[in-house]
Amino acid sequence: MTAVRSSTPAISLSRTPSPGRTVETGWHRTLRRFRRNPLSVLGALIVAFFVVVALLAPFLAHPTERNPFMIPHSGYASDPHPPGPGHPFGTTEEQFDLYYGVIWGTRTAFVVALSVVATAVAIALVLGSVSGYYGGPLDELVMRVTDIFLAFPGLILAVVIVAVLGQSVRNAVIAIAVVEWPTYTRLLRGEFLRVRDMEYVQAARALGSGDLHIIARHVIPNTIYPMLILASLNMGGIVITFAALSFLGLGAPIGYAGWGQLISLSHNWIVGTAGDPFTFWYTLIVPGTAIFLFVLGWNLLGDAFRDVFDPRLQGSR
Amino acid sequence: MTGFILRRLLLLPFVALGVSVLIFSLLQFLTPAMRASLYIHDPKQLNALPDIIRKYHLDQPAYVQYWDWLTQVAHGDLGWSETAREPVADAIRGYFPATLELGVYSFACILALGIWLGTQSAVHKDRLLDHLSRFTSISGASLPTFVWGLLLLMVFYGHFGWFPPDRLSLAAGLFVRAPGFHPYTGLITIDALLNGQWWIFWDALRHLVLPVATLTYFLTAVLVRITRSSMLETLRTDYVRTARAKGLAQRTVVDKHARRNALIPVITLAGLLFVGLLSGVVITETVFNYPGIGRWGVNASQQLDIPAVTGFALIFSGLLVLGNLCADVLYALVDPRIRLQ
Amino acid sequence: MRTVTWIQRAAVLAVAAVVITSLGAAAVRGAGEPVKNPETLVELQFGDVASLDPALAYDIYSTEPIWPNVYETLIMYSGSSLDKFQPMLATEVPSLANHLISADGLTYTFPIRTGVHFHDGSVMTPDDVVYSVRRFLLQDQAGGPAWLLLSPLLGVDSTRDDSGKIQVAFADVARAVSAQGGSVVFHLKKPFAPFLTIIAAWTEIMPRAWAAAHGDWDGGPGTWQKYNNPKIEDRYAFDHMNGTGPFTLERWDRQAKEVTLVRHDGYWRRPAALQRVVIRSVPEFATRRLALQQGDADLVVASANQQSQLRGIPGTVLQDNLPQIAVQTLQFNYKINTEANPDVGSGRLDGGGIPADFFADVHVRRGFAYAFDYAGNLGGAYAGKGVIPHGPIVQGLLGFDSTVPVYTTSREKAVAEFKEAIGGKVWETGFKFTIPYTAGNTARQTGAQIVKDTVGALNPKFQIEFRPVPSSTLISLLLAHKGTMYFLGWFADYPDPHDFAQPFLSANGYFPVRGGYRNPEADRLIDEAVGTADPAKRKALYKQLSMIAYNDLPYLFLVQPVTYYTMRSWVHGWYYNPIFPGQYFYTISKR
Repeated sequence: MTAVRSSTPAISLSRTPSPGRTVETGWHRTLRRFRRNPLSVLGALIVAFFVVVALLAPFLAHPTERNPFMIPHSGYASDPHPPGPGHPFGTTEEQFDLYYGVIWGTRTAFVVALSVVATAVAIALVLGSVSGYYGGPLDELVMRVTDIFLAFPGLILAVVIVAVLGQSVRNAVIAIAVVEWPTYTRLLRGEFLRVRDMEYVQAARALGSGDLHIIARHVIPNTIYPMLILASLNMGGIVITFAALSFLGLGAPIGYAGWGQLISLSHNWIVGTAGDPFTFWYTLIVPGTAIFLFVLGWNLLGDAFRDVFDPRLQGSR
Repeated sequence: MTGFILRRLLLLPFVALGVSVLIFSLLQFLTPAMRASLYIHDPKQLNALPDIIRKYHLDQPAYVQYWDWLTQVAHGDLGWSETAREPVADAIRGYFPATLELGVYSFACILALGIWLGTQSAVHKDRLLDHLSRFTSISGASLPTFVWGLLLLMVFYGHFGWFPPDRLSLAAGLFVRAPGFHPYTGLITIDALLNGQWWIFWDALRHLVLPVATLTYFLTAVLVRITRSSMLETLRTDYVRTARAKGLAQRTVVDKHARRNALIPVITLAGLLFVGLLSGVVITETVFNYPGIGRWGVNASQQLDIPAVTGFALIFSGLLVLGNLCADVLYALVDPRIRLQ
Repeated sequence: MRTVTWIQRAAVLAVAAVVITSLGAAAVRGAGEPVKNPETLVELQFGDVASLDPALAYDIYSTEPIWPNVYETLIMYSGSSLDKFQPMLATEVPSLANHLISADGLTYTFPIRTGVHFHDGSVMTPDDVVYSVRRFLLQDQAGGPAWLLLSPLLGVDSTRDDSGKIQVAFADVARAVSAQGGSVVFHLKKPFAPFLTIIAAWTEIMPRAWAAAHGDWDGGPGTWQKYNNPKIEDRYAFDHMNGTGPFTLERWDRQAKEVTLVRHDGYWRRPAALQRVVIRSVPEFATRRLALQQGDADLVVASANQQSQLRGIPGTVLQDNLPQIAVQTLQFNYKINTEANPDVGSGRLDGGGIPADFFADVHVRRGFAYAFDYAGNLGGAYAGKGVIPHGPIVQGLLGFDSTVPVYTTSREKAVAEFKEAIGGKVWETGFKFTIPYTAGNTARQTGAQIVKDTVGALNPKFQIEFRPVPSSTLISLLLAHKGTMYFLGWFADYPDPHDFAQPFLSANGYFPVRGGYRNPEADRLIDEAVGTADPAKRKALYKQLSMIAYNDLPYLFLVQPVTYYTMRSWVHGWYYNPIFPGQYFYTISKR
């Protein structure tokens, strides 16, 4: 499913942020709450598994091309081949190795998702802080601009941007970041608005602390939790959007190690041959399972974060 | 209320303008030659590019092209779509009913299934049904639409042959496009009934099953979760406990009291669901080769058919604004605590 | 407490109903089943019709309904022959023998058939023929086919010069094609051997009165400039057809991507057997295949690597190995524009790039030619469907000569050539560049992979990459001379060797203009070969040209592809001619 933006109700922490350090007790409590829910643990395990795979990619699947993200060919025959010696998961059409594609596709997924989140957060930090902290007409302008961007269904905006910029992983990342930044900006702005009027901030201002100092030292650290929740819930959505773009021919090029790209190669083969419609099942199931597990893991983890860091929503699970 | 609605409607042209400016500013990244290539099909026609660039004024700066487009639109002409081979307005008018049909059936299924499953889940918390529906909703959020759609195609079309892609079978399609068939609404299921052709009705329905199932899976999952949590909260409230204590039957408690209040956050979701539907339509139509606006929009984007892309973007953003407006109005109607200022 | 609500009951009923009705419709039709829709033929292909105007359409998907199904020309190819003609809307095929071609080869006279009715009932006259040809010449849409007749008749490739100004006068056109009594006479600027083949495929006749009545040019001398270079949508003939052919256009549904033709009962020969023809564009291969399997489609077009999924379907016949007058090539860019060019690396011969004139050295080109794996390319990229060509003159054309040598894979020879290249510097420093290819074209991707693998294996300092680009980008690269090597194909406009020699070897041919190849000797031979009508003489000249192509090596000729069609066994009367853009439905019946 495409990235449904703002899929979570507005999150705001109601507990009083304490500038002091009571981290240890807080973390212990958090960890315990986390461990209590089996689904959270499952999510964490899945994500950890994928992190390990991504880090160990060069050892799990030796790159043979100059660009390790390009899946090696073995021969030029066009029919996909089932799992067998040398190809534990089989091959797609044009003989791209599915095992290699899935392993390095994990790296692609992380690179893309983290790039998008980083870009969106960077934009949000600048725009959201300026907008929330200073308010006034600047705030209005930023809000109207986010309105316009949010008026587009996300996937469609991404499709248009990539179509214009040209098909490549980099442009797909840019496109998805353009789709996601309004949500992060709005979240950050909301937090800024809330914090701006807190007593200790007023006090700091009265004492003559510079605005930048206040933003950096007081405001931003307290917005980490909501951002963390949003980002972790978003990771799955970003990867799905990227896969969707690749599936539409607007993301990773053919032969690139990306799950969506692998699935787009399966499109012509899902009805199998005249005798057996499931002949080429692996071309869809293998990369499909990879995406499913990855997104599942992040969704569970994100849910867990939300439960753990936002006590108000705990009862509704 | 009227004031609120009017003010929100004023947002429409503003958004439309913003969206069109956004698209045309993307033109800065395209060379005239790239845009002209939309009109040729083979490198042997390369010599014609300068001619084509001149003919369609593609070498003018983006703001000039935008102004030309704006004046054209002011006269009611949305331009010509090369990918659709007809005026953009005609293409939209032609493709929209298909998407509308898909959307209407999907929306109905999402609401019906989502609310019912969510309510049952909450009422029978921690029983088998609850676990099943929670598993479905989590997995629904994790499986991309196109993977799910391809899977369904593989099993129900490739193997069983029950539910084919596209909108109609060849025979039904020929009949529908022949002069004898009157397209009253553009929704083939309804038109078939109005024309008295039951076999076309069933044929169209058969073709809708998989796209609707694909489109609704994820959004139903979301709706189930929201309904469930909202229902759980409501069931815990004082007045419900009082109703139970008074000895009212479970059914009455759930149906009469709890549900109405639990539905409030669901309605706020309606706008979000609508957005999700519009996004999902693009992928679903591509996977199932369903001739709607989503598929056309993707084709137009891939081939840099700028007038089509702009028209397509305008329609979608317009729908979104209207959808959100409806959701807000509904919200105000349902929850007397809300007063729209 | 588990009450079954009405919603649940309704849902169960609905699902059951859908399942039950669907089960009834899923049968696969095998051989021996009754013919489905015996009066209607359904063809499924995967291209897009761009326009139905015969003067402006220039791609095979558009021209399939146009010719020879709805519009007809003066003469027609005889059966599957590419060089024998039969009369069509003319009553005789001009030749030197019957004096309808003048001795100097500059005048062609076509006596026009009488008693032929257009689809709207009006009678065809020589005036309509003259109008149709003049319209073809003068409307000259950018990127359209008008140059095919403009070139021999008026000596120019376009009615407009480079700055867009009109450069032909009506008087010239009037002199070039005119009616004389019951005949139409063409005056050529120079003798042009392939003239009849162009007439056979590109002079579709439509009525002048009908066109003029619907906002098109009226044929008058003073008004034609207004109608020059139209936008595609500006002509009534864009989506309305009125010809003399065995079928008329019922409708073109652009959303369903479907063209529907119905039988023309007033056809001047015996009416067609089929009552209705539907040509539909279905990009999804799986859908096409299943429609064929179930008998809903009668004829299906698919690409080479999908053939394995079409073999063995009961009740169908696979017409395989149909020769095509086409060739796929790999082209060298002799003068690369290295400015802001991501594909040339450093732009110098320093091991990290290639200089602008890298491919201008024949040893470099020969190195690539000997390294390439032609058999592997044919087997992998084209699923073995095709033959290795002997230069630009492909099989089926006059002048095809199987004794013309080809480059065969030879590692030693490749190494030897690279060692000599650019005074030996190439072998020492190595090079690095990227090949751009059309995204989604798996045949070209495989070809690029082969270049990279084979040449890269010769010397570790030879680094070749390849990247997919959308066709709009490839077109920009071609225009700006920025590509390094290009995978390009050429399909015949008309089945004459001139249509291959000129675009590949002439200084102002399409490909030399892009790649920079020049050989004045080739130009001379091309002019001579097209100007003489003597087949023996032409054969000898084209053999010389093929040898020039072999020695100069501006291109690697990779594959002459063959095609195939899959159809139900109840389809009879189908025949194939390589020059047809699609099917000729007139002779087809279903039994």
